[in-house]
Amino acid sequence: MMRNARALGLTALSILIGLALWQWAAWDISRVVFAPPTAVLARLAADIVSGVLPLALLRSLGALALGFLLAVAIAVPLGFAIGRNAKVAAMADPVLNAIYAVPPVAMVPFLIIWFGLFFESRVALVFLMSFFEILVTVAAGARNVEPTLLAVGRSFGAERARLVTRVMLPASLPFVFAALRVGLVRGINAMITAELFFAAVNLGALMKHSAQRFDTAGLLAVIVLLCLVGLAAQSGLKALEARLLPWHVRQ
Amino acid sequence: MTQALRYQLLGIALALGVWEVVGRAIGAELFAPPTVVFPEWYALLREGQMLRELATSLRQMLVGYGFACLIGIPVGVGMGRSRLADALLHPWLSMFVVTSVASLVPLFILIFGTGFWFRAAIVFVASIWYVMLTVYQGARGVEPRFVDVGRAFGASRWRSFRTILLPALYPYVITAMRIGLVHAIRAMVVAEMFIIVGYGGLIYRAGLSLSTAPLLALLFTLMLVGVIANALLRGGARRIAPWYEQRVGAGGPAQG
Repeated sequence: MMRNARALGLTALSILIGLALWQWAAWDISRVVFAPPTAVLARLAADIVSGVLPLALLRSLGALALGFLLAVAIAVPLGFAIGRNAKVAAMADPVLNAIYAVPPVAMVPFLIIWFGLFFESRVALVFLMSFFEILVTVAAGARNVEPTLLAVGRSFGAERARLVTRVMLPASLPFVFAALRVGLVRGINAMITAELFFAAVNLGALMKHSAQRFDTAGLLAVIVLLCLVGLAAQSGLKALEARLLPWHVRQ
Repeated sequence: MTQALRYQLLGIALALGVWEVVGRAIGAELFAPPTVVFPEWYALLREGQMLRELATSLRQMLVGYGFACLIGIPVGVGMGRSRLADALLHPWLSMFVVTSVASLVPLFILIFGTGFWFRAAIVFVASIWYVMLTVYQGARGVEPRFVDVGRAFGASRWRSFRTILLPALYPYVITAMRIGLVHAIRAMVVAEMFIIVGYGGLIYRAGLSLSTAPLLALLFTLMLVGVIANALLRGGARRIAPWYEQRVGAGGPAQG
Protein backbone atom coordinates (compact mmCIF):
# COMPACT_ATOMS: atom_id res chain seq x y z
CA MET A 1 0.00 0.00 0.00
CA MET A 2 2.85 2.36 0.95
CA ARG A 3 4.61 1.51 -2.28
CA ASN A 4 1.51 2.14 -4.33
CA ALA A 5 1.12 5.55 -2.77
CA ARG A 6 4.73 6.35 -3.54
CA ALA A 7 4.45 5.19 -7.13
CA LEU A 8 1.29 7.26 -7.54
CA GLY A 9 3.07 10.28 -6.12
CA LEU A 10 5.99 9.87 -8.51
CA THR A 11 3.61 9.50 -11.47
CA ALA A 12 1.86 12.70 -10.47
CA LEU A 13 5.22 14.41 -10.07
CA SER A 14 6.30 13.18 -13.49
CA ILE A 15 3.16 14.54 -15.13
CA LEU A 16 3.56 17.87 -13.35
CA ILE A 17 7.19 18.21 -14.42
CA GLY A 18 6.26 17.34 -17.99
CA LEU A 19 3.46 19.87 -18.06
CA ALA A 20 5.73 22.52 -16.57
CA LEU A 21 8.35 21.88 -19.25
CA TRP A 22 5.68 22.08 -21.93
CA GLN A 23 4.36 25.34 -20.50
CA TRP A 24 7.87 26.76 -20.45
CA ALA A 25 8.57 25.58 -24.01
CA ALA A 26 5.31 27.07 -25.24
CA TRP A 27 6.25 30.37 -23.65
CA ASP A 28 9.60 30.25 -25.32
CA ILE A 29 8.56 29.19 -28.83
CA SER A 30 5.59 31.58 -28.94
CA ARG A 31 2.07 30.86 -27.87
CA VAL A 32 0.66 31.11 -31.37
CA VAL A 33 2.62 28.22 -32.86
CA PHE A 34 2.57 25.92 -29.86
CA ALA A 35 -0.20 26.25 -27.31
CA PRO A 36 0.68 25.87 -23.60
CA PRO A 37 -0.94 23.04 -21.59
CA THR A 38 -3.20 25.45 -19.73
CA ALA A 39 -4.77 26.55 -23.01
CA VAL A 40 -5.02 22.98 -24.28
CA LEU A 41 -6.65 21.65 -21.12
CA ALA A 42 -9.08 24.57 -21.04
CA ARG A 43 -9.91 23.91 -24.68
CA LEU A 44 -10.29 20.17 -24.07
CA ALA A 45 -12.68 20.81 -21.19
CA ALA A 46 -14.69 23.37 -23.18
CA ASP A 47 -14.99 21.10 -26.22
CA ILE A 48 -16.02 18.14 -24.10
CA VAL A 49 -18.67 20.16 -22.26
CA SER A 50 -20.02 21.63 -25.49
CA GLY A 51 -20.33 18.08 -26.85
CA VAL A 52 -18.24 18.67 -29.98
CA LEU A 53 -15.47 16.24 -29.08
CA PRO A 54 -17.57 13.43 -27.56
CA LEU A 55 -19.91 13.47 -30.56
CA ALA A 56 -17.07 13.33 -33.09
CA LEU A 57 -15.37 10.57 -31.10
CA LEU A 58 -18.58 8.56 -30.92
CA ARG A 59 -18.97 8.78 -34.69
CA SER A 60 -15.33 7.74 -35.17
CA LEU A 61 -15.71 4.68 -32.96
CA GLY A 62 -18.10 2.94 -35.38
CA ALA A 63 -15.39 2.33 -37.98
CA LEU A 64 -12.95 1.35 -35.23
CA ALA A 65 -15.29 -1.24 -33.69
CA LEU A 66 -16.21 -2.87 -36.99
CA GLY A 67 -12.65 -2.97 -38.36
CA PHE A 68 -11.18 -4.22 -35.09
CA LEU A 69 -13.76 -6.97 -34.59
CA LEU A 70 -13.28 -8.20 -38.15
CA ALA A 71 -9.52 -8.23 -37.62
CA VAL A 72 -9.83 -10.19 -34.36
CA ALA A 73 -12.29 -12.68 -35.87
CA ILE A 74 -9.93 -13.53 -38.72
CA ALA A 75 -6.44 -12.93 -37.29
CA VAL A 76 -6.78 -14.95 -34.06
CA PRO A 77 -7.73 -18.31 -35.65
CA LEU A 78 -5.30 -17.72 -38.51
CA GLY A 79 -2.53 -16.93 -36.01
CA PHE A 80 -3.16 -20.23 -34.24
CA ALA A 81 -3.12 -22.14 -37.52
CA ILE A 82 0.22 -20.58 -38.41
CA GLY A 83 1.76 -20.90 -34.96
CA ARG A 84 0.76 -24.50 -34.25
CA ASN A 85 1.99 -25.94 -37.52
CA ALA A 86 5.73 -25.76 -38.25
CA LYS A 87 5.29 -26.21 -42.00
CA VAL A 88 2.64 -23.55 -42.32
CA ALA A 89 4.75 -21.26 -40.12
CA ALA A 90 7.80 -21.73 -42.37
CA MET A 91 5.68 -20.99 -45.43
CA ALA A 92 3.96 -17.96 -43.94
CA ASP A 93 7.07 -16.45 -42.39
CA PRO A 94 8.69 -14.75 -45.44
CA VAL A 95 5.32 -13.62 -46.80
CA LEU A 96 4.26 -12.06 -43.48
CA ASN A 97 7.65 -10.39 -43.06
CA ALA A 98 7.35 -8.90 -46.51
CA ILE A 99 3.84 -7.58 -45.96
CA TYR A 100 4.78 -6.31 -42.50
CA ALA A 101 7.61 -4.27 -44.04
CA VAL A 102 5.14 -2.24 -46.14
CA PRO A 103 3.81 0.74 -44.18
CA PRO A 104 0.02 0.39 -43.88
CA VAL A 105 -0.52 4.04 -44.83
CA ALA A 106 1.00 3.26 -48.21
CA MET A 107 -2.10 1.11 -48.79
CA VAL A 108 -4.29 4.23 -48.65
CA PRO A 109 -4.33 4.75 -52.46
CA PHE A 110 -5.47 1.14 -52.82
CA LEU A 111 -8.19 1.48 -50.28
CA ILE A 112 -9.43 4.59 -52.09
CA ILE A 113 -9.60 2.63 -55.36
CA TRP A 114 -11.43 -0.27 -53.73
CA PHE A 115 -13.61 1.32 -51.09
CA GLY A 116 -13.88 5.03 -51.84
CA LEU A 117 -13.32 7.82 -49.35
CA PHE A 118 -15.80 7.13 -46.58
CA PHE A 119 -16.89 4.64 -43.96
CA GLU A 120 -15.85 1.46 -45.82
CA SER A 121 -12.28 2.56 -46.42
CA ARG A 122 -11.93 3.72 -42.80
CA VAL A 123 -13.04 0.27 -41.65
CA ALA A 124 -10.59 -1.29 -44.12
CA LEU A 125 -7.63 0.72 -42.82
CA VAL A 126 -8.46 -0.14 -39.20
CA PHE A 127 -8.76 -3.77 -40.23
CA LEU A 128 -5.43 -3.76 -42.06
CA MET A 129 -3.47 -2.04 -39.33
CA SER A 130 -4.71 -4.18 -36.46
CA PHE A 131 -4.96 -7.44 -38.44
CA PHE A 132 -1.23 -7.95 -38.99
CA GLU A 133 -0.30 -6.86 -35.49
CA ILE A 134 -2.73 -9.40 -33.99
CA LEU A 135 -1.75 -12.13 -36.43
CA VAL A 136 1.98 -11.80 -35.75
CA THR A 137 1.54 -11.72 -31.96
CA VAL A 138 -0.85 -14.68 -31.83
CA ALA A 139 1.32 -16.76 -34.17
CA ALA A 140 4.43 -16.11 -32.06
CA GLY A 141 2.52 -16.95 -28.86
CA ALA A 142 0.96 -20.12 -30.25
CA ARG A 143 4.38 -21.33 -31.35
CA ASN A 144 5.76 -20.89 -27.84
CA VAL A 145 3.05 -22.59 -25.78
CA GLU A 146 4.95 -24.51 -23.11
CA PRO A 147 5.32 -28.06 -24.53
CA THR A 148 5.46 -29.54 -21.01
CA LEU A 149 1.92 -28.33 -20.35
CA LEU A 150 0.64 -30.25 -23.35
CA ALA A 151 2.78 -33.26 -22.41
CA VAL A 152 1.30 -33.34 -18.90
CA GLY A 153 -2.21 -33.19 -20.34
CA ARG A 154 -1.39 -35.99 -22.75
CA SER A 155 0.14 -38.21 -20.09
CA PHE A 156 -3.01 -37.81 -18.00
CA GLY A 157 -4.86 -39.23 -20.97
CA ALA A 158 -6.64 -36.09 -22.18
CA GLU A 159 -7.96 -36.55 -25.70
CA ARG A 160 -7.53 -33.87 -28.35
CA ALA A 161 -10.67 -31.84 -27.72
CA ARG A 162 -10.03 -31.76 -23.99
CA LEU A 163 -6.39 -30.86 -24.56
CA VAL A 164 -7.48 -27.87 -26.64
CA THR A 165 -10.13 -26.56 -24.24
CA ARG A 166 -8.37 -27.33 -20.96
CA VAL A 167 -4.69 -26.76 -21.78
CA MET A 168 -4.23 -24.92 -25.06
CA LEU A 169 -6.92 -22.31 -24.51
CA PRO A 170 -5.94 -21.17 -20.98
CA ALA A 171 -2.26 -21.23 -21.96
CA SER A 172 -3.02 -19.04 -24.97
CA LEU A 173 -5.21 -16.39 -23.36
CA PRO A 174 -2.28 -14.27 -22.10
CA PHE A 175 -0.79 -13.72 -25.54
CA VAL A 176 -4.22 -13.39 -27.14
CA PHE A 177 -4.84 -10.54 -24.72
CA ALA A 178 -1.45 -9.04 -25.53
CA ALA A 179 -2.39 -9.24 -29.21
CA LEU A 180 -5.75 -7.57 -28.56
CA ARG A 181 -4.07 -4.73 -26.66
CA VAL A 182 -1.53 -4.03 -29.39
CA GLY A 183 -4.17 -4.47 -32.08
CA LEU A 184 -6.63 -2.10 -30.44
CA VAL A 185 -4.05 0.65 -30.02
CA ARG A 186 -3.06 0.24 -33.66
CA GLY A 187 -6.75 0.31 -34.55
CA ILE A 188 -7.23 3.63 -32.78
CA ASN A 189 -4.20 4.99 -34.64
CA ALA A 190 -5.67 3.71 -37.89
CA MET A 191 -9.01 5.35 -37.09
CA ILE A 192 -7.52 8.85 -36.88
CA THR A 193 -5.11 8.17 -39.76
CA ALA A 194 -8.08 7.22 -41.92
CA GLU A 195 -10.00 10.36 -40.96
CA LEU A 196 -7.05 12.50 -41.99
CA PHE A 197 -6.10 10.64 -45.18
CA PHE A 198 -9.52 9.83 -46.66
CA ALA A 199 -12.35 12.37 -46.60
CA ALA A 200 -11.82 14.46 -43.44
CA VAL A 201 -14.65 13.60 -41.04
CA ASN A 202 -15.31 13.52 -37.29
CA LEU A 203 -12.11 14.03 -35.28
CA GLY A 204 -10.04 14.26 -38.45
CA ALA A 205 -12.22 17.11 -39.71
CA LEU A 206 -11.86 18.91 -36.36
CA MET A 207 -8.08 18.61 -36.69
CA LYS A 208 -8.04 19.88 -40.25
CA HIS A 209 -10.20 22.89 -39.38
CA SER A 210 -7.98 23.72 -36.42
CA ALA A 211 -4.88 23.41 -38.59
CA GLN A 212 -6.33 25.79 -41.18
CA ARG A 213 -6.93 28.38 -38.47
CA PHE A 214 -3.45 27.87 -36.94
CA ASP A 215 -5.29 26.80 -33.81
CA THR A 216 -2.74 24.54 -32.09
CA ALA A 217 -4.80 24.42 -28.90
CA GLY A 218 -7.60 22.80 -30.87
CA LEU A 219 -5.19 20.36 -32.51
CA LEU A 220 -3.57 19.40 -29.24
CA ALA A 221 -6.94 18.95 -27.55
CA VAL A 222 -7.83 16.25 -30.12
CA ILE A 223 -4.38 14.65 -29.77
CA VAL A 224 -4.71 14.54 -25.97
CA LEU A 225 -8.21 13.09 -26.26
CA LEU A 226 -6.97 10.35 -28.62
CA CYS A 227 -4.08 9.60 -26.31
CA LEU A 228 -6.48 9.26 -23.36
CA VAL A 229 -8.73 6.97 -25.43
CA GLY A 230 -5.71 4.80 -26.28
CA LEU A 231 -4.62 4.60 -22.65
CA ALA A 232 -8.17 3.83 -21.52
CA ALA A 233 -8.50 1.05 -24.10
CA GLN A 234 -5.22 -0.44 -22.96
CA SER A 235 -5.98 -0.35 -19.26
CA GLY A 236 -9.53 -1.57 -19.90
CA LEU A 237 -8.20 -4.69 -21.59
CA LYS A 238 -5.61 -5.09 -18.83
CA ALA A 239 -8.32 -4.95 -16.17
CA LEU A 240 -10.39 -7.49 -18.09
CA GLU A 241 -7.33 -9.71 -18.33
CA ALA A 242 -6.74 -9.46 -14.59
CA ARG A 243 -10.32 -10.59 -13.93
CA LEU A 244 -10.35 -13.40 -16.45
CA LEU A 245 -6.84 -14.72 -15.95
CA PRO A 246 -5.89 -14.08 -12.34
CA TRP A 247 -3.16 -16.73 -12.55
CA HIS A 248 -1.34 -14.85 -15.26
CA VAL A 249 -1.30 -11.30 -13.99
CA ARG A 250 1.69 -10.99 -11.72
CA GLN A 251 2.45 -7.82 -9.90
CA MET B 1 17.65 -25.84 -42.37
CA THR B 2 17.26 -26.74 -46.03
CA GLN B 3 13.89 -28.21 -45.13
CA ALA B 4 12.78 -24.88 -43.63
CA LEU B 5 14.21 -23.00 -46.60
CA ARG B 6 12.25 -25.20 -48.99
CA TYR B 7 9.03 -24.39 -47.15
CA GLN B 8 9.85 -20.70 -47.15
CA LEU B 9 10.39 -20.72 -50.90
CA LEU B 10 7.19 -22.71 -51.31
CA GLY B 11 5.36 -20.07 -49.24
CA ILE B 12 6.68 -17.25 -51.42
CA ALA B 13 5.81 -19.15 -54.60
CA LEU B 14 2.33 -19.85 -53.27
CA ALA B 15 1.77 -16.20 -52.36
CA LEU B 16 2.93 -15.06 -55.80
CA GLY B 17 0.67 -17.65 -57.42
CA VAL B 18 -2.39 -16.51 -55.48
CA TRP B 19 -1.54 -12.88 -56.25
CA GLU B 20 -1.26 -13.70 -59.99
CA VAL B 21 -4.58 -15.54 -60.09
CA VAL B 22 -6.43 -12.88 -58.09
CA GLY B 23 -4.78 -10.08 -60.08
CA ARG B 24 -5.79 -11.63 -63.40
CA ALA B 25 -9.32 -12.24 -62.20
CA ILE B 26 -10.04 -8.68 -61.05
CA GLY B 27 -7.79 -6.77 -63.46
CA ALA B 28 -4.87 -4.35 -63.27
CA GLU B 29 -7.10 -1.34 -62.53
CA LEU B 30 -7.93 -2.91 -59.15
CA PHE B 31 -4.99 -5.20 -58.37
CA ALA B 32 -2.22 -5.75 -60.88
CA PRO B 33 -0.75 -9.29 -60.98
CA PRO B 34 3.01 -9.82 -60.50
CA THR B 35 3.60 -10.47 -64.21
CA VAL B 36 2.43 -6.89 -64.83
CA VAL B 37 3.99 -5.35 -61.71
CA PHE B 38 7.55 -6.62 -62.14
CA PRO B 39 8.11 -5.27 -65.67
CA GLU B 40 6.67 -1.97 -64.43
CA TRP B 41 9.02 -2.08 -61.45
CA TYR B 42 11.98 -2.68 -63.72
CA ALA B 43 10.95 0.23 -65.93
CA LEU B 44 10.65 2.52 -62.89
CA LEU B 45 14.06 1.34 -61.74
CA ARG B 46 15.62 2.18 -65.11
CA GLU B 47 13.88 5.53 -65.31
CA GLY B 48 15.52 6.60 -62.05
CA GLN B 49 13.02 8.91 -60.38
CA MET B 50 11.90 6.21 -57.95
CA LEU B 51 15.41 5.63 -56.62
CA ARG B 52 16.22 9.36 -56.50
CA GLU B 53 13.13 10.13 -54.42
CA LEU B 54 13.80 7.09 -52.26
CA ALA B 55 17.38 8.18 -51.57
CA THR B 56 16.29 11.70 -50.59
CA SER B 57 13.50 10.43 -48.37
CA LEU B 58 15.69 7.84 -46.69
CA ARG B 59 18.39 10.41 -46.01
CA GLN B 60 15.90 12.62 -44.18
CA MET B 61 14.45 9.65 -42.37
CA LEU B 62 17.89 8.51 -41.21
CA VAL B 63 18.46 11.88 -39.50
CA GLY B 64 15.29 11.51 -37.41
CA TYR B 65 15.88 7.82 -36.80
CA GLY B 66 19.53 8.40 -35.87
CA PHE B 67 18.61 10.98 -33.25
CA ALA B 68 15.88 8.68 -31.95
CA CYS B 69 18.44 5.90 -31.42
CA LEU B 70 21.09 8.22 -29.99
CA ILE B 71 18.70 9.56 -27.37
CA GLY B 72 16.33 6.63 -26.96
CA ILE B 73 18.90 3.95 -26.22
CA PRO B 74 20.70 5.64 -23.29
CA VAL B 75 17.45 6.93 -21.81
CA GLY B 76 15.96 3.44 -22.09
CA VAL B 77 18.97 1.97 -20.28
CA GLY B 78 18.69 4.64 -17.60
CA MET B 79 15.00 3.88 -17.10
CA GLY B 80 15.68 0.17 -16.88
CA ARG B 81 18.42 0.54 -14.28
CA SER B 82 17.09 3.37 -12.13
CA ARG B 83 13.73 3.24 -10.41
CA LEU B 84 13.52 6.99 -10.15
CA ALA B 85 14.14 7.54 -13.85
CA ASP B 86 11.57 4.84 -14.61
CA ALA B 87 8.94 6.42 -12.37
CA LEU B 88 9.53 9.89 -13.80
CA LEU B 89 9.62 8.95 -17.46
CA HIS B 90 7.28 5.99 -17.75
CA PRO B 91 3.97 7.90 -17.73
CA TRP B 92 5.13 9.97 -20.70
CA LEU B 93 6.52 6.93 -22.47
CA SER B 94 3.17 5.14 -22.17
CA MET B 95 1.35 8.21 -23.45
CA PHE B 96 3.54 8.80 -26.47
CA VAL B 97 3.63 5.14 -27.44
CA VAL B 98 -0.15 5.08 -27.92
CA THR B 99 -0.24 8.42 -29.75
CA SER B 100 -0.85 8.12 -33.47
CA VAL B 101 1.83 9.60 -35.71
CA ALA B 102 -0.74 10.77 -38.23
CA SER B 103 -2.49 12.87 -35.56
CA LEU B 104 0.78 14.73 -34.91
CA VAL B 105 1.33 15.58 -38.57
CA PRO B 106 -0.96 18.66 -38.79
CA LEU B 107 0.58 20.07 -35.60
CA PHE B 108 4.13 19.50 -36.77
CA ILE B 109 3.39 21.21 -40.07
CA LEU B 110 2.34 24.32 -38.13
CA ILE B 111 5.49 24.21 -36.01
CA PHE B 112 8.13 23.15 -38.54
CA GLY B 113 6.64 23.98 -41.93
CA THR B 114 6.88 21.26 -44.57
CA GLY B 115 10.64 21.08 -45.11
CA PHE B 116 13.42 18.85 -43.93
CA TRP B 117 12.91 19.42 -40.21
CA PHE B 118 9.24 18.52 -40.35
CA ARG B 119 9.98 15.09 -41.79
CA ALA B 120 12.96 14.43 -39.54
CA ALA B 121 10.93 15.48 -36.48
CA ILE B 122 7.99 13.23 -37.35
CA VAL B 123 10.29 10.26 -37.82
CA PHE B 124 12.03 11.11 -34.55
CA VAL B 125 8.86 11.19 -32.42
CA ALA B 126 7.49 8.13 -34.18
CA SER B 127 10.47 5.91 -33.46
CA ILE B 128 12.09 7.14 -30.24
CA TRP B 129 9.43 5.76 -27.87
CA TYR B 130 9.62 2.26 -29.35
CA VAL B 131 13.42 2.30 -29.15
CA MET B 132 13.24 3.47 -25.54
CA LEU B 133 10.59 0.94 -24.54
CA THR B 134 12.46 -2.02 -26.00
CA VAL B 135 15.82 -1.06 -24.47
CA TYR B 136 14.05 -0.39 -21.17
CA GLN B 137 12.54 -3.88 -21.11
CA GLY B 138 15.93 -5.37 -21.90
CA ALA B 139 17.79 -3.34 -19.28
CA ARG B 140 15.23 -4.21 -16.62
CA GLY B 141 15.49 -7.89 -17.40
CA VAL B 142 19.27 -8.25 -17.16
CA GLU B 143 19.93 -11.31 -15.03
CA PRO B 144 20.80 -9.92 -11.55
CA ARG B 145 23.20 -12.84 -11.00
CA PHE B 146 25.47 -11.56 -13.78
CA VAL B 147 25.79 -8.23 -12.01
CA ASP B 148 26.29 -9.99 -8.66
CA VAL B 149 29.14 -12.07 -10.04
CA GLY B 150 30.86 -8.91 -11.23
CA ARG B 151 30.40 -7.32 -7.84
CA ALA B 152 31.73 -10.43 -6.09
CA PHE B 153 34.88 -10.17 -8.19
CA GLY B 154 35.24 -6.57 -7.13
CA ALA B 155 34.38 -4.90 -10.44
CA SER B 156 33.91 -1.16 -10.27
CA ARG B 157 30.59 0.34 -11.32
CA TRP B 158 31.96 1.47 -14.67
CA ARG B 159 33.66 -1.85 -15.33
CA SER B 160 30.56 -3.80 -14.48
CA PHE B 161 28.55 -1.54 -16.79
CA ARG B 162 30.99 -1.92 -19.67
CA THR B 163 31.74 -5.63 -19.40
CA ILE B 164 28.49 -7.08 -18.02
CA LEU B 165 25.53 -4.83 -18.59
CA LEU B 166 26.42 -3.56 -22.04
CA PRO B 167 27.03 -6.97 -23.68
CA ALA B 168 23.84 -8.25 -22.07
CA LEU B 169 22.02 -5.29 -23.62
CA TYR B 170 23.34 -5.60 -27.19
CA PRO B 171 20.58 -7.97 -28.29
CA TYR B 172 17.92 -5.59 -27.03
CA VAL B 173 19.61 -2.57 -28.55
CA ILE B 174 19.57 -4.28 -31.93
CA THR B 175 15.96 -5.33 -31.50
CA ALA B 176 15.10 -1.79 -30.47
CA MET B 177 16.81 -0.45 -33.58
CA ARG B 178 14.89 -2.90 -35.75
CA ILE B 179 11.52 -2.02 -34.23
CA GLY B 180 12.42 1.68 -34.36
CA LEU B 181 13.30 1.39 -38.04
CA VAL B 182 9.92 -0.15 -38.90
CA HIS B 183 8.21 2.80 -37.23
CA ALA B 184 10.61 5.30 -38.78
CA ILE B 185 9.83 4.09 -42.31
CA ARG B 186 6.11 4.11 -41.56
CA ALA B 187 6.34 7.65 -40.23
CA MET B 188 8.32 8.79 -43.23
CA VAL B 189 5.56 7.56 -45.54
CA VAL B 190 2.82 9.08 -43.37
CA ALA B 191 4.51 12.49 -43.37
CA GLU B 192 5.30 12.47 -47.08
CA MET B 193 1.91 11.24 -48.20
CA PHE B 194 0.22 13.95 -46.15
CA ILE B 195 2.04 16.79 -47.91
CA ILE B 196 2.59 14.82 -51.17
CA VAL B 197 6.38 15.09 -51.43
CA GLY B 198 9.24 12.62 -51.72
CA TYR B 199 8.65 8.91 -51.94
CA GLY B 200 5.31 9.09 -50.13
CA GLY B 201 4.21 11.71 -52.64
CA LEU B 202 5.20 9.34 -55.42
CA ILE B 203 3.00 6.65 -53.87
CA TYR B 204 0.12 9.09 -53.53
CA ARG B 205 0.35 10.20 -57.15
CA ALA B 206 0.71 6.61 -58.37
CA GLY B 207 -2.64 5.94 -56.70
CA LEU B 208 -4.27 8.34 -59.15
CA SER B 209 -3.11 6.46 -62.26
CA LEU B 210 -5.38 4.03 -64.10
CA SER B 211 -3.36 0.92 -63.39
CA THR B 212 -2.32 -0.23 -59.92
CA ALA B 213 0.96 -1.60 -61.33
CA PRO B 214 3.11 1.51 -60.59
CA LEU B 215 1.64 1.72 -57.09
CA LEU B 216 2.44 -1.92 -56.36
CA ALA B 217 5.92 -1.48 -57.84
CA LEU B 218 6.58 1.43 -55.46
CA LEU B 219 5.30 -0.60 -52.51
CA PHE B 220 7.55 -3.48 -53.58
CA THR B 221 10.62 -1.22 -53.45
CA LEU B 222 9.61 -0.01 -50.01
CA MET B 223 9.21 -3.60 -48.90
CA LEU B 224 12.70 -4.41 -50.17
CA VAL B 225 14.11 -1.49 -48.19
CA GLY B 226 12.49 -2.76 -44.99
CA VAL B 227 13.55 -6.36 -45.52
CA ILE B 228 17.14 -5.45 -46.47
CA ALA B 229 17.57 -3.02 -43.56
CA ASN B 230 16.26 -5.66 -41.19
CA ALA B 231 18.63 -8.28 -42.59
CA LEU B 232 21.57 -5.86 -42.27
CA LEU B 233 20.76 -5.13 -38.63
CA ARG B 234 20.43 -8.85 -37.95
CA GLY B 235 23.72 -9.59 -39.71
CA GLY B 236 25.46 -6.84 -37.74
CA ALA B 237 23.97 -8.24 -34.56
CA ARG B 238 25.32 -11.69 -35.32
CA ARG B 239 28.82 -10.23 -35.73
CA ILE B 240 29.03 -8.02 -32.67
CA ALA B 241 26.88 -10.23 -30.42
CA PRO B 242 26.82 -13.86 -31.58
CA TRP B 243 24.54 -14.72 -28.65
CA TYR B 244 21.91 -12.40 -30.15
CA GLU B 245 19.53 -14.89 -31.82
CA GLN B 246 19.31 -17.24 -28.87
CA ARG B 247 18.63 -14.41 -26.42
CA VAL B 248 15.98 -12.60 -28.35
CA GLY B 249 14.55 -15.40 -30.48
CA ALA B 250 12.64 -14.68 -33.63
CA GLY B 251 9.86 -12.46 -32.39
CA GLY B 252 11.72 -10.03 -30.17
CA PRO B 253 10.57 -9.03 -26.69
CA ALA B 254 6.90 -8.83 -25.88
CA GLN B 255 5.24 -5.44 -26.09
CA GLY B 256 4.30 -3.85 -22.79
